[in-house]
Amino acid sequence: MSGSPRGMVGLVMRREIVTRVRDKSFLVSTLLTLVIVAAVVVLPSLFGGDDDEVTVGVVGNAAAVEPALRQAAAAQDARLTLTTFPDEAAARTAVTGGDADAAFLAPDRVLVDAELSGTTEQVVRTAYQQAVGSARLTEAGLDATAVARALDVPPLGVTAVDPPDPDAEGRQQAAFIGILLLYFQLIGYGIAVALGVVEEKSSRVVELLLSTLRPWQLLAGKVLGIGLLGLGQLVLTGLVGIGAALASGAVDLPSGLAGVVGQVLLWFLLGYAFYACLFAALAALVSRQEEVQNVTAPLTIVLVGSFFLALTVMGDPESTLARVTSIVPPLSAMVMPIRWATGTVPLWEVGVSMLLMVLAVVSLVRLAGWIYAGAVLRSGPRVGLRDALRSGRTQG
Amino acid sequence: MLEVDGLTKRYGDTLALSSLTFAVRPGEVFGFVGANGAGKTTAMRIMLGVLAADAGEVRWQGRPVTFETRRRFGYMPEERGLYPKMRVGEHLVYLARLHGLDAAAATRAAEALTERLGVATRRDDAVEKLSLGNQQRVQLAAALVHDPEVLVLDEPFSGLDPVGVDALAGVLLERAKRGVPVVFSSHQLDLVERLCDSVGIINAGRLVASGTVAELRERETTRQLRVVVPDVPATWAGTLPGVTVVSERRGEVVLELGPGVDDQQVLAAAARAGRVEHFSRRRPTLTELFREAVADVPADRVEVTA
Ligand SMILES: Nc1ncnc2c1ncn2[C@@H]1O[C@H](COP(=O)(O)OP(=O)(O)OP(=O)(O)O)[C@@H](O)[C@H]1O
Ligand SMILES: [Mg+2]
Repeated sequence: MSGSPRGMVGLVMRREIVTRVRDKSFLVSTLLTLVIVAAVVVLPSLFGGDDDEVTVGVVGNAAAVEPALRQAAAAQDARLTLTTFPDEAAARTAVTGGDADAAFLAPDRVLVDAELSGTTEQVVRTAYQQAVGSARLTEAGLDATAVARALDVPPLGVTAVDPPDPDAEGRQQAAFIGILLLYFQLIGYGIAVALGVVEEKSSRVVELLLSTLRPWQLLAGKVLGIGLLGLGQLVLTGLVGIGAALASGAVDLPSGLAGVVGQVLLWFLLGYAFYACLFAALAALVSRQEEVQNVTAPLTIVLVGSFFLALTVMGDPESTLARVTSIVPPLSAMVMPIRWATGTVPLWEVGVSMLLMVLAVVSLVRLAGWIYAGAVLRSGPRVGLRDALRSGRTQG
Repeated sequence: MLEVDGLTKRYGDTLALSSLTFAVRPGEVFGFVGANGAGKTTAMRIMLGVLAADAGEVRWQGRPVTFETRRRFGYMPEERGLYPKMRVGEHLVYLARLHGLDAAAATRAAEALTERLGVATRRDDAVEKLSLGNQQRVQLAAALVHDPEVLVLDEPFSGLDPVGVDALAGVLLERAKRGVPVVFSSHQLDLVERLCDSVGIINAGRLVASGTVAELRERETTRQLRVVVPDVPATWAGTLPGVTVVSERRGEVVLELGPGVDDQQVLAAAARAGRVEHFSRRRPTLTELFREAVADVPADRVEVTA
């Protein structure tokens, strides 16, 4: 005979996971999330992310600008690809087709698709000025090599007092995707727990279950099983996102990305523990699926609120608002990872924030367990919170 | 021995159970009957620990029932309930495992029971796809799947067709033969009479009569006679002292004898009136016993419940 308390929790967990994984709608939504995340990561690099690669064509006598183009590209730190077109028509086709960013039809006439912009503009304009300048100087009787040497200006050395983080943009993007995932995962899996609790109440199977399980075992198995599934989905999504970024090659992995992913996972665990217990406890008060939304509304409001708070903080991660809310549970669950990703957080603040969250979770788990135990067997009208707490506590 | 001792349960002002006491021996089938709201479900839920009693205790094999002992009980709640979307076979295996069976034993038990209860072909269907009666059979299998030491079933026969009733009755008697005490509640008294070794009649939370059906009949204070004297009006009986005519139909009379009335004198009177075709002691049916037990609520009980 097996039947250790832990074995029982394991059985409940397994049922939760197996029934959900088998559900087609779960598979579809997981797949959809993966596709969306991969798309969000890959798409920007497909469209217009190619500023530092410049492809310029030349037609006929315009080949004279080639040396100047090379010099200008080198000065701009851009990778230059030079192509030669037999005639203007060929150049036109290449430019409209996107095979070339610009084409010199003559030394003083350049063809572009829509407009001259970005790195291409800088390279082309610099090259043009240099070509014209050196032609005039040569005309004026200066030695061609001397002119070339004079115009070959070494890049200006720049020393920044406060250099921008080269990864900032990438981290910002990662943080945004992370917070979006965290939000949907917390709310989605919290509600899954609530619906699971009410399913057992409305189908009355809970009475049969509780003749062989203690309420805390049923609650723990359900919360852990669903949470494990949520964590697995999140890890998978993170891997696919990172994989897509690496594979597309266009997005450089910001150095702090691993840290951001780690923070999102960590705060999912803490946030889920916090919210799932409350979702379960509140859901145990009602007996019908239709009532779930009502009874869990306060939690949804807090979640939506922290999500918008996190978005605000993303714009100004060093503000007092950011510093305070990233430490207060449960707001910290969404504000801290965003602060971590976009700003610089002293480690001790992360530590304090986590500690407070863990303390909140520990005290809540007991409270939620009491409410659940006091209410889950009482079908019919909504059970009062205090009433449930009282009878749950006496059950021990 | 399964002993229910002095169970008391109060819901606000309602006294649902007041010192309910009875015992069921191993191998005994105990029928638990009583009017709606009498307290049967309340008592059974307390026996299974899904409800806490205000006072009293339940003992099995001489020791107070704990959570661990209850896990070896089989229970069919009044409010039927299974996961609607779970497959029948998997559901039974899951419940068996929750009761401590290993995977292989749980699978074997689930297969054997679905076979026995006639739902073997539905093992791979979701519970919600079964008809109500078949869901009921699965519910029963859920109570039996872990080979329980004690069975507590709340109205297990309601909703079953005659074939289902026979199948269920067969299973219950078989389990009883193996030494399992079986307690079940029912409003189908003919069934209770047929299946049960003993019966407890509960009224307003208190056991008002219990014992074997035969004992209950014997204990009956009023004696009734069924006498058939064809084609003779019952006036011959109406004149006898201490005898009341309960019913009369074409020469067949049911008489109730007062204390001390000699039935042989009644027979002599009948013989004087005509040709006696039938003369017997009439045994009350369980239904009649039930009506009587439930009808005379003692005055003190009314006070307690009020
Ligand atoms: N949750 C509850 N809250 C308040 N009163 C209750 C509750 N459950 C049962 N009662 C009361 O307790 C008494 C016993 O109810 P119980 O359900 O045990 O009766 P029963 O014998 O099973 O009836 P039935 O034959 O209708 O199933 C009834 O008066 C009922 O109204
Ligand atoms: Mg009942």
